[in-house]
Amino acid sequence: MAVSATAQEPDFAALQAQTKKVFEDRVTPFFKNYCTDCHGIYRMEGGINFAPTLAAPGASSSAKSWKQALANIKAHDMPPDDAKKQPTDEERQMFVEWMQTIKFLSPKDPGAFVIRRLTKMEYGNTLRDLFGVDPAIAAELPEEVFGEGYLNTLSPLQSEQYLSIANEVLNRVLAPKDEPPTEMQKRLFGDTPSSGSDLRAAAKSVASQLARSAYRRPASEAELERLLLVFDLAQANKLDYQSSLRLVLKAILVSPQFLFITPAKEPELDHAIVPLDDYQLASRLSYLLWATMPDAELFALADAGKLQEQSVLQAQVKRMLADTRSRALFDGFGAQWLGLMGLESKTFDTEMFPQMTTEMRAAMVDEARLFFDSIVRENRSVIEFVESDYTYLNGTLAALYGMENTITGPEMRKVQLEDTNRGGILSMPGILATTSFPNRTSPVKRGVWVLEQVLGEHVPPAPPNVPPLEKQDKQAVENLTLRMRTELHRTNPVCANCHKILDPIGFGLENFDAIGRWRDQDQTGGAIDAAGELPGEKRFSSPRELKAIIAERKDELARNLTRKLLAYALCRQLEGYDEIVVDQLMVTIAKDGYRMQNLISEIVTSYPFVNRRIHELEVPKSNGQ
Amino acid sequence: MVNKFRIDRRTHLKGLGAALALPLLETMGWADTSKGKTNAPPVRLGFMYMPHGVIPDQFWPANAESFLTSPPPALESLKPVLDQCLLMKGISGVPILPFEGAPHALELSTWLTAQLPDADTRSQINIAISADQIAANFVGGFTSLRSLELATMPQTHKENQEGLNEGYYTHCSFRSPTQPVPAETNPRNVLNRLFGKTDQPGQLAKVDPLDRQLLDLVLDGAKDLRRKLPQADQHKLDEYLDSVRAVERRIAAIEYRQKEAALEKNGVASSKRNASDSPPIEIKIPVGEKRSEYMQVMCDLNVLAFQTDITRVSTYIGSTPNGVSYPELGFNDEHHSQTHHENKPEPVAKVAAITAFNIAQFAYMVKKMASLREGEGTLLDNCIMMWGSGLEDGNNHSRNNLPFIIAGKGGGTINSGRFLPDTKGNQGDLLSTILACAGIPVDRPVGIATKQITEMIHHL
Repeated sequence: MAVSATAQEPDFAALQAQTKKVFEDRVTPFFKNYCTDCHGIYRMEGGINFAPTLAAPGASSSAKSWKQALANIKAHDMPPDDAKKQPTDEERQMFVEWMQTIKFLSPKDPGAFVIRRLTKMEYGNTLRDLFGVDPAIAAELPEEVFGEGYLNTLSPLQSEQYLSIANEVLNRVLAPKDEPPTEMQKRLFGDTPSSGSDLRAAAKSVASQLARSAYRRPASEAELERLLLVFDLAQANKLDYQSSLRLVLKAILVSPQFLFITPAKEPELDHAIVPLDDYQLASRLSYLLWATMPDAELFALADAGKLQEQSVLQAQVKRMLADTRSRALFDGFGAQWLGLMGLESKTFDTEMFPQMTTEMRAAMVDEARLFFDSIVRENRSVIEFVESDYTYLNGTLAALYGMENTITGPEMRKVQLEDTNRGGILSMPGILATTSFPNRTSPVKRGVWVLEQVLGEHVPPAPPNVPPLEKQDKQAVENLTLRMRTELHRTNPVCANCHKILDPIGFGLENFDAIGRWRDQDQTGGAIDAAGELPGEKRFSSPRELKAIIAERKDELARNLTRKLLAYALCRQLEGYDEIVVDQLMVTIAKDGYRMQNLISEIVTSYPFVNRRIHELEVPKSNGQ
Repeated sequence: MVNKFRIDRRTHLKGLGAALALPLLETMGWADTSKGKTNAPPVRLGFMYMPHGVIPDQFWPANAESFLTSPPPALESLKPVLDQCLLMKGISGVPILPFEGAPHALELSTWLTAQLPDADTRSQINIAISADQIAANFVGGFTSLRSLELATMPQTHKENQEGLNEGYYTHCSFRSPTQPVPAETNPRNVLNRLFGKTDQPGQLAKVDPLDRQLLDLVLDGAKDLRRKLPQADQHKLDEYLDSVRAVERRIAAIEYRQKEAALEKNGVASSKRNASDSPPIEIKIPVGEKRSEYMQVMCDLNVLAFQTDITRVSTYIGSTPNGVSYPELGFNDEHHSQTHHENKPEPVAKVAAITAFNIAQFAYMVKKMASLREGEGTLLDNCIMMWGSGLEDGNNHSRNNLPFIIAGKGGGTINSGRFLPDTKGNQGDLLSTILACAGIPVDRPVGIATKQITEMIHHL
């Protein structure tokens, strides 16, 4: 079709017009013919009503019902068998193809970048950068999901903890009353002015410096005046100069300007979409790549008003990724993407897997982290996530690779792999372990993981009332290998649709046990049969061959990572216009083989990252406002 | 100053804005009754959750008559206090259409809201204020902590069902439709929060005398900032303003308590406690990793917080619907993996054991409450403790007869010691009735509620 992945700006209007035309000429009649009698304003079978969807096909609120309709029409689940009329295959195909163009109906929209509260990790790191305290000072705060799905809200519990952590920070870095100031204190507050001089003026200049770094932007005159009222409060309560500044700093640390990323400039409220100001952009970038506040260089560029320039921004990405702070990209994004957040506390059968000690679990996560880091730092192709000939091991972890004789000691180091069944995330013990049950592998979980996390496909949850494995007839299944038992899924038509795609992937990884060791027999003693076939007659008989087939699907792999990383960067789910942004980005990064730094750089310079919507687009403001 | 009359709570609902009405502390709850002889304690409200439902025939009593004499296996641990428990069969859950693919993302988040998320903005949290927070809005101002939220697992599960925000999976308390309330998972942190950084219950958290004035000034600054921002940003700042005001109220309440404690030290009798009341229980933070000990210390903290009137509302997520195992029970299977049991004996037995285990932790908590003297009865007499799940039977995700256990008499408002096998109502009705029994005026029904379940109520 004409509208594949090459959605460049000039074509956009034409594509949009074409999509609208097909919608009016064909899609709307299709729905009126086959769907809206039962799913319309007069009847809403299953709570589904396509009237609002057809009225606003490009609205983000319609996305869900389109997806639902697509799935059901594709699978011939709808209209139901007893319906009066059935669409022809050609009509179904028309709708399926039109759905690929629906993104062109979305208005150009960067999404809202609502003032965002720092995550627990960002907050701790920022305190470290400001005051040299251990980021663990934030440990009491509740754990949070980062990126897409981040709950940008604030509860009384958190506010209370912010106050108590602020007190703790000040107790650690400032001298107690009547004692000589600490070095940090001298750096923050300077000397106490000699008696008789203007204390308030001196305090103002200190507050201005403190606020500038803590707010990550210059404080306005009005904001400074507010902080001086805190100084006045302290003075009125007979606190000395240093203690008064301490109170000012405490106020700063519980202020929204510190706890949230806030704009430096008042946005032009008569525009619906505005670019981020330089300081906002510096923070957004720095919290994305480093999970902490911008450094002096970023501040200097923001001061100079240079950060909006694409080449400057790209150069900053390169520089920041080379810095060790960029490990935050793994801690915040990578670990979540790979599903390793829960490995530390996941239950394993201790008799079957005594190896799963704290050290082992830590080494598993470290392996994934160092590998992820190497792809970022060395600007490797993202395809190497799947196919790679090196990894990182220490003595503990080497035991799972059968390399404990050559690799010893607790330090992780880069190891060249000879066994081509190994290498890449699909055969990494940490990932194989998180996708297993406590006492055995789960080909299904592994298959779902590969499809969803690696290839970016959506796997619907199993319907209720379908027995997982152990629940089937015990007698009959007792002597079957796990593979033979799992294949029972495919005898049931309800299950077969999904399982025929996900099970083979899981089987292809069956040579790895529930903690990632190689094996030739499964727990029943039956030989592992790692052969399978994926759509398109792609046959494989070992993990090595499975990985090769998946690595060939470059565009899907890269698109999936791009979508996930963009959603992480924007802290929200992707919708409407974002899909066009992804299309454009894919074209660019494909040119030199999907390299990781280029991908990150493209995300950081993308339209939704550097702009924000401040009013709903549907409701233009009237002039009288 | 001692007030000689009890005020009508309803008249004060509107006055509970920014300022804490401190003198109310003396009249609301624990008020002197007519002669100043006995102090009538306030009603406290607690919720405790288990995911994935139960094995129905091991949970529901055979009939109303045998409820007390031969209770079903799941309720074994509650036997000593069954006469203070109420079970009702027939409470239906919120129908989850159009989110059929999200049974587990919704079981917890609909539990106290009795409402579905907004379908058009599903990628963000947008549901409804939950029953516990409705209660906290009303009674939270009288205590140093407006409400207590506990959990035993971090609320960070990332699983997308039906495009719903991941937060739905792990949260049940919502302060407003868009504000999930995080729960505390570390017992040490909870203890610190209740009593300050000391292991001696009874000592209060220290506050800086200037903090309240400091926060006032910070709030003024935040309001300046708010004026300059677009609407969506303003809403975020409103959450900030609201949460900081809550901290101010908490500081005020702590200061008030400190004054009161100082008076007690000097021999002035407390208006809140009777000489015959049990002393505050002791908290021992377990060192091992046993799930029962972990769950029980959280129960103890809940009991202590109620006993010392640090809060009157608590919500305890015993576990969230993802990935918990119970090695203590002799198997490592994850809870959810066993609930699709297709009536096969082995997984059914495991789910039954997990259910009994969870109810036993609840029983541990309410039995402790029943052992503590308070006023003319026990702490439990003055509580409404609700245990339950957001699914009836995890095997088929049914929600027709949600399992609930209500322990305590709510200060005499709950007609307990009974099993009502044929109750008609939904979970919104149940929550609305519970709030009414706790004396919380509700200006609109909770979620899908249409009525109160009058059979629950003890009619004087």
